[in-house]
Amino acid sequence: MNKISDDILFKVEKPARYIGGELNCCYKDIDKIDIRFAFCFPDVYEVGMSHLGSRILYHVLNERADTYCERAFAPWPDMEKQMRDNNIALYALESKDSLNEFDFLGFTLQYEMSYTNILNMLDMSGITIRASKRGDDEPIIMAGGPCAYNPEPLYDIVDFFELGDGEEIMNEVLDVYKNYKGTKKEFLREISKIRGVYVPSLYEVSYNEDNTIREFKPKYDDVPRSVKKRFVVDFDKASFPEKIVVPYTEIVHDRVILETFRGCTNGCRFCQAGMIYRPVREKSTATLIDEADKLLKSTGYREISLSSLSICDYSDIKNLITTLIEKNKEDHVSVSLPSIRINSFSVDLIKEIQKVKKTGITFAPEAGTQRMRDIINKGVTEEQVLEAVSSVFASGWSAIKLYFMVGLPYETLEDVRGIAELSDKVAGEYFKIPKETRKRGLRITTSTAIFVPKPFTPFQWVPQSRMEDVVEKIKAVKYAIKSKAVTYNYHESIVSYLEAVMARGDRRICDVIIKAFEKGAKFDGWGEYFDFEIWKEAMEECNVSGDFYAYRARSYDEVLPWDFIDIGVNKEYLINENEKAKKVQLTQNCKDGCTQCGVNVNFKEGTCFKGALFNQV
Amino acid sequence: MLILKKGRVLRVRYLIKYSKESEIKFVAHLDLMRTIQKVIKRSELPIGYSKGFNPHMAVSIAQPLSVGVHSNGEYMDVVLNEDINEEYIMNKMNENTPRGIEILDVVKVIPVEGTKKKQAMAIIDAARYTIKFKCTNIESIKEKMDDLCALDEWNIIKTSKKSGEKLVNIKQFIHEFDYNVENFVMCIKVLISCGSRDNLSASLLTEYLKQNLEFINKETFVDITREEMYAYKDEKLVTLSEFF
Repeated sequence: MNKISDDILFKVEKPARYIGGELNCCYKDIDKIDIRFAFCFPDVYEVGMSHLGSRILYHVLNERADTYCERAFAPWPDMEKQMRDNNIALYALESKDSLNEFDFLGFTLQYEMSYTNILNMLDMSGITIRASKRGDDEPIIMAGGPCAYNPEPLYDIVDFFELGDGEEIMNEVLDVYKNYKGTKKEFLREISKIRGVYVPSLYEVSYNEDNTIREFKPKYDDVPRSVKKRFVVDFDKASFPEKIVVPYTEIVHDRVILETFRGCTNGCRFCQAGMIYRPVREKSTATLIDEADKLLKSTGYREISLSSLSICDYSDIKNLITTLIEKNKEDHVSVSLPSIRINSFSVDLIKEIQKVKKTGITFAPEAGTQRMRDIINKGVTEEQVLEAVSSVFASGWSAIKLYFMVGLPYETLEDVRGIAELSDKVAGEYFKIPKETRKRGLRITTSTAIFVPKPFTPFQWVPQSRMEDVVEKIKAVKYAIKSKAVTYNYHESIVSYLEAVMARGDRRICDVIIKAFEKGAKFDGWGEYFDFEIWKEAMEECNVSGDFYAYRARSYDEVLPWDFIDIGVNKEYLINENEKAKKVQLTQNCKDGCTQCGVNVNFKEGTCFKGALFNQV
Repeated sequence: MLILKKGRVLRVRYLIKYSKESEIKFVAHLDLMRTIQKVIKRSELPIGYSKGFNPHMAVSIAQPLSVGVHSNGEYMDVVLNEDINEEYIMNKMNENTPRGIEILDVVKVIPVEGTKKKQAMAIIDAARYTIKFKCTNIESIKEKMDDLCALDEWNIIKTSKKSGEKLVNIKQFIHEFDYNVENFVMCIKVLISCGSRDNLSASLLTEYLKQNLEFINKETFVDITREEMYAYKDEKLVTLSEFF
């Protein structure tokens, strides 16, 4: 056990991040368990503790009598310095034991820019960074989460990946481990046969002269050629914690989070989550109300957030919200929605919610012109946007946030100017409301993010918009905005470029990540620590061209680094969607009829809309 | 909730004494406040709420505690909508506290006809602290301490948001001062002014001692415990629990 002395803690920012001991955290007798598992989030405590998936898996793992799951986060650089100066290895918050004493370290991959933190956390624990050089007596490193759908950039760091819903795979893997303790190679070979597990060391890649992939294949006959993702079939019965850890210190999402459904029916062409989490599966309102009751009781929170990819698509949403509010009226419990679709129905929901607590309103039209919104298959018309904002203004709001992307495929300068025009039109709607009904102080905040093409989307073949073009587009938006009520927020950070390199990177990017880490890269997702010069040098020294990964158009017959993963959605479907994007053609929402993506045919157990109520909406 | 005649709700005030133990001393005041509100919510006590758009729990902490300081004698006022047995409140809350907080005492504040009972934060006059310094050498500490105590004034620059930098004599706020040294640790026990009339923070006193006693190890953490808080009642200092 490490003694984290007060002499260290009083010197660092926010010391409460490092003390543990929060309400509902789990303590077990180390002599009575077989498997020690450290759940690692490669970012600071406040970010990591806000992540719902980690909270679910912490619970699932600790439900096992033979396993003790603890938590570890990336220490902020001031704490890292203190720990390194005082020879303190990175430790788990519960037992304060060093991570190198654990059987497993499980990392969750939420965004590419956290990869160097994984390396730093291993290094701080005294664990060998390269999987190929790591000893049999060192912990087994695993990873999961959305970025694991292109695992290759971490192929020589992570021993195995889990693809799909973690609560399904984890138990099977640990059951096997008990019979293979101490024999890492045999263990990895054995679990490679479990559906959803990918062991990179059991596969080999060869390249063509033009640096594209020639072939990706297993080294042995008993190792599967393709890795099929896993998913919880009956989501209504999925394991969900009745108690969650309640941090002392305020975290980013400091509230009860209810996961209403997995998957999304909209089919936006830029969205990876919309493809990889298919099929859509819902939890019933009764289950959700029950979970909310238990969690409110066990935590003492007075706020519930409903989580999903597109919350207004939950089939019983109105009933769920009114019941939650009505049931907890005396305790003044408020309900919040993280993301909403733009239509009059969602405005009604917001009105319901703000009876308890007034919240801000954010709409995401994603693109400025109808042509562009149709290309990305957003399925929202300008009329719908204006109707919704008008009703929002009429209901007493005067501040609205609008989210857009720039650098989308097939985008023109005319399209980005549309962002400014739409923002101005939104302002116009405000002035149409009579002075005596509208609230004073109109404020519209328009934000743009730079588009990064992601694997398993119809845009996985397209080049990222060049930085210089993006800068020009941002300028175009800036100068086209006329209304004084519109504030334009944007970033021109080169971090998007690096994100694009990593998102569609192959095994050669792994060396770059290691090199960048050795040169001091960490917390790349934080503006104050991101240093592109480091990455530029690292790519040069590894003889890797970033442009090859970010700016290159791929042909449909190229072998993509993630092609061996089967998410259930057919590649032909993605190709067809990209072709439709070029022709500015829409694809309907799957709620209105199946669009033949293939998930319910390829994965026979996957019924779309399991648990949904169809007579409601 | 008990609804009285004319729709008024019964409001009963309680003074609650609790501890913030060493293991959570780095939890900041606002975070501790949120933690306590969650304890009350989990205890399912009929807590009162303020009116308005974002209703607040009727909980107020008597005197904030700095980050890094722990305490055996913190106080808060809470208002319940029912008249509940004090012991029940204490037990119920203790079933729901996280490690590091313990409810030590609950006193119902009985209203006196025609007068308004002041909030705990308004009556505090003094607080008792134990401050532990690590020392680099312990030679002739007694002489050095005697010299310091012999000074008429203990002057230190205090920076505040309102008045900027100001030289203050903090000795006038010290009612009792005692120390002993053991195993290279100097343990100081003080009773100092605290509250809205005269106030000396334990950290400012600590800072003064660090600046004026060269044998204190400046690189190490200074362990400060607030032991108790007091108010004047009939010109005598009594603990807040005894006051009501």
